[in-house]
Amino acid sequence: MKKQSLSIQLIILTFILTLPSVSQNRFTLSGTIRNGETGEVLIGATLLVKELPGVGVTSNAYGFYSLTFPEGTYTILVQYLGFKTRKDTLNFNDNRLINYDLTPEPIKLGEVVVSGERSNANVTSTEIGVNKLEVKEIESIPVLLGEKDILKTIQLLPGIQSAGEGSTGFYARGGGTDQNLIVLDEAPIYNSSHLLGFLSVFNSDAIKDVKVMTGGIPAEYGGRLSSVLDIRTNDGNNKEFGGSGGIGLLASRLMVEGPIVKDQGSFIISGRRTYADLFLKLSSDTTLNRASLYFYDLNMKANYTLGDKDRLYLSGYFGRDNFAFSNTFGFNWGNTTATLRWNHIFANHLFSNTSLIYSDYEYSNTIGVGTSQFQITSGIQDLNFKTDFQYFTDASGTVKFGLNSIYHTFLPGKVTSIAGSIINNTALENKFALENALYVAHEIDMIPGVKVNYGLRFSAFSLIGPAHLYDYDEYGNISDTLTYGSGNIIKTYVSLEPRLAVNILLNETSSLKTSYTRTTQYLHLLSNSTTTNPSDVWVPSTNNVKPQFADQIDAGYFRNFLDNEYEASLELYYKRMQNVIDYKNGADLQINPTVEALLLYGTARSYGAELLVRKRAGRLSGWIGYTLSKTEEQFDQINNGNPFPARQDRTHDISIVLIYNHNSEWNFSATWVYNTGNAVTFPSGNYWLDGRLVPYYTERNGYRMPAYHRLDLSATWTLGPHSNLNFSLYNAYNRMNPYAINFQQDPNDPNKTQAVQTTFFPIIPSVTYNFTF
Amino acid sequence: MKIENIKYLLPTTFILLGIALNSCQEVVSIDLNKADPHIVIEGIISDQPGPYVVKVSMTGNYFEPSLYFPPVTDAQIVLTDDNGQRDTLKESDQGTYLSTTLRGISGRTYSMSVVSKGKIYSASSFMPAKVLIDSIYAVARTGFRSEPGYDIYVLFKDPPEPGNYYRLNAKSSTLIPADSIDGRRYRLYTDKLTNGNEMTERIRAGGQVQPGDTITLELLSIDKASYDYFSTLRDILSSDRSPTSLSPANPNTNLSNGSLGYFSAFAMDTKKIVLK
Repeated sequence: MKKQSLSIQLIILTFILTLPSVSQNRFTLSGTIRNGETGEVLIGATLLVKELPGVGVTSNAYGFYSLTFPEGTYTILVQYLGFKTRKDTLNFNDNRLINYDLTPEPIKLGEVVVSGERSNANVTSTEIGVNKLEVKEIESIPVLLGEKDILKTIQLLPGIQSAGEGSTGFYARGGGTDQNLIVLDEAPIYNSSHLLGFLSVFNSDAIKDVKVMTGGIPAEYGGRLSSVLDIRTNDGNNKEFGGSGGIGLLASRLMVEGPIVKDQGSFIISGRRTYADLFLKLSSDTTLNRASLYFYDLNMKANYTLGDKDRLYLSGYFGRDNFAFSNTFGFNWGNTTATLRWNHIFANHLFSNTSLIYSDYEYSNTIGVGTSQFQITSGIQDLNFKTDFQYFTDASGTVKFGLNSIYHTFLPGKVTSIAGSIINNTALENKFALENALYVAHEIDMIPGVKVNYGLRFSAFSLIGPAHLYDYDEYGNISDTLTYGSGNIIKTYVSLEPRLAVNILLNETSSLKTSYTRTTQYLHLLSNSTTTNPSDVWVPSTNNVKPQFADQIDAGYFRNFLDNEYEASLELYYKRMQNVIDYKNGADLQINPTVEALLLYGTARSYGAELLVRKRAGRLSGWIGYTLSKTEEQFDQINNGNPFPARQDRTHDISIVLIYNHNSEWNFSATWVYNTGNAVTFPSGNYWLDGRLVPYYTERNGYRMPAYHRLDLSATWTLGPHSNLNFSLYNAYNRMNPYAINFQQDPNDPNKTQAVQTTFFPIIPSVTYNFTF
Repeated sequence: MKIENIKYLLPTTFILLGIALNSCQEVVSIDLNKADPHIVIEGIISDQPGPYVVKVSMTGNYFEPSLYFPPVTDAQIVLTDDNGQRDTLKESDQGTYLSTTLRGISGRTYSMSVVSKGKIYSASSFMPAKVLIDSIYAVARTGFRSEPGYDIYVLFKDPPEPGNYYRLNAKSSTLIPADSIDGRRYRLYTDKLTNGNEMTERIRAGGQVQPGDTITLELLSIDKASYDYFSTLRDILSSDRSPTSLSPANPNTNLSNGSLGYFSAFAMDTKKIVLK
């Protein structure tokens, strides 16, 4: 496998190096685009050559850019949202390395902020189905209990829907919550939630850039069907020491950053902890004061620049949730990641990043009472090697290529008896797998005005011994046991995943875009619940469990108005997914060696239209998003084989986000969301059995929950240059949105039945104090 | 980090608003479809003396339940075992059919066939060996924040071979059988994690029981299909249902031809205790 990968890599390298060579009189301008105040590199900043229309480049995830063009004297424009546009005259007669430092736009008191030139990158890029969020936006948007949270903010974008009220789980264009690749500084995060799903593991103090892709997923990403959420953390201020923090109702945060060596290296450490349990300790109730209910997380990062060509990054994330009542019941779960990265610039137009990543998710749960207490543990562990190259060709095109190799260790479940318990110790066998991928993608201006990004990802997944696997007959009984020795390759799946995105630029302010994406997912999440749960178990593809595939086409019209002040887009998509997983009724998913016999495989399709109008600058900013979509699933064994609406099939989904800078003291924001209720299964009849009334179901997801809508408000009062108070109101008009509707016998009259609605989140005010130093 | 680099740290204060994340429940009205009536068969056979009862009825509309859903009369019901016994059931009451001669014996597989309106519904069920209750005892329970009541302990020994399934019913002399002493209609156990062990199960009976009540505990040894039926039945009965549960579905029946309900053979041991 390894040898094959290397030889393919060599072929690609040869191919790239023979691309049109630099002719005479053409030179390369390269360097890094940075925030001049903090030294943080800027991701996605644009550099344009004013005299050469259509010649420009966007800085990559490490702030690097490279552009080759003829010699001459030019005006260089460097732009980034929220920063002053930099205009430099360049006498260009040699290869040049220039780092551009941009100055943040000052917020002027009491007057409308006039931004300089605004970028039309959203119109000109090949990106489709892609949304970026500014950390500023995440910070301004009101959220439950005042805890700003990117996973909740992205749910306000079209094409992305919440998995449930207050939940950080999300559905991307009809896909499941396990079909989202969430990467934090390139490390996959397997469980992104704290507090049983109410908060995400991402502390927004540490975050620099958030990009979410639901269509047109580039070839460098793979492994999940429906979306990529790429989160990059801050590198730390390399000019001076500083910090920030916040005190909220639920949690407090503290971040410190500073240079290791001025302008050369920096560090950042940010942490967060909840303290509900500290109040519980004050209680005189022994059940309560012995309870623990907290989470904490810690992001750490350091980087160091070694000369002009090399930069090293070391980063880590560590988070834990602890949720226990005295010693009878307890949950404990968390992620650990560590990433070592090395940026190297070969010549001046070949950029590389090589990463070594460790990623671990672990969960343990103590359950049972009296003599039947035991602990269940499960998890997944990755060792991940990744190398990515970006070659800036002539004609402002780029070639990206790279490889990724992940060694997965699955811990599907272990039961440990607690002293005196009648439970036997049991463990399911750990499983091992190697997931490899090679990719190449080339972005080029085919003809003037037509930009194409075509790429191919080749992925392979091998299940590796030692293992005992089963074959099943049609009734789910074991028909054969297969034994494999250590290191044996048991089963290999391969997949070719073409990726294509085309941009037809109609004029400076409008374009048509289209894309095709095939994605493959080799890991599957088994879950007993409709929300994300710490006890969900990741399992590999095996002899029985096939990889999931998705094909998606996407087309859109992008248009900017009023000098790029307003961005608008209308996208249409159609996505088909194969081998998606559901369960036989009543499937016992925990500590079950024959769990694969309980899985059902089917297809799903989702299609829809997404409209987004966004204003990114000025006193009033925000967006309006509307999604009209349909998502259906089909399984031979469910609903008599007839297609049925997926739970997340929400015909209409509207989000309105408004952020208003009133003056230097007061900022206001509001969000309003509306969506069609989830498709749910309600009974259509009743019968007596075993002395009780039993509901009779006739179809899967044949009913709808009532429509969901909610208004959240927030006001931030700036107390001084270094602190502010944020007031927020969740569910401002106190809409009783149903969390669940249950059907039951009337407790007062067992001969009657009733529907009971549960609401969890009425109007909830909160206050947070934020400071910087 | 050097302390002199921290320019200044503003005093931090915060206002804590008292917020209770209280959930709220209310009865709502929902429009439900009217499903076509569907046949429901509930058949049992045990190692206890007969007659064994098979009930056949039809489903009704969800919000129009009655004590008496349409019974299915004039069905032909036959119980057989794998040892050549055969019994044709007699209708005693509308929709209720009783066996005449058959006697259930552990270790045999029983089959039921129901013919109604030209359709045949059949199922079979294995009657496992009887597992005996070794002992039961009750402890009066008081304590901070826990309502007064009794903890009733049931002890039995799981056989050494894996694959045992149980249903435990707890009944009180002062309650109707459908009312449970602890809010749960029945309990189910599997030896998946406890094979071959001495089992101690605790039932926390609350205010429904009083000193002097006689509590009857029935330990039913059932087969896997019956266990699957009762556990998937429990999943859809709302008192046990979590709001985040997966889509509900009709319980996994062992009956053929789309009938609702079950046919279960079981071996039962009974013990009683008088609460003091």
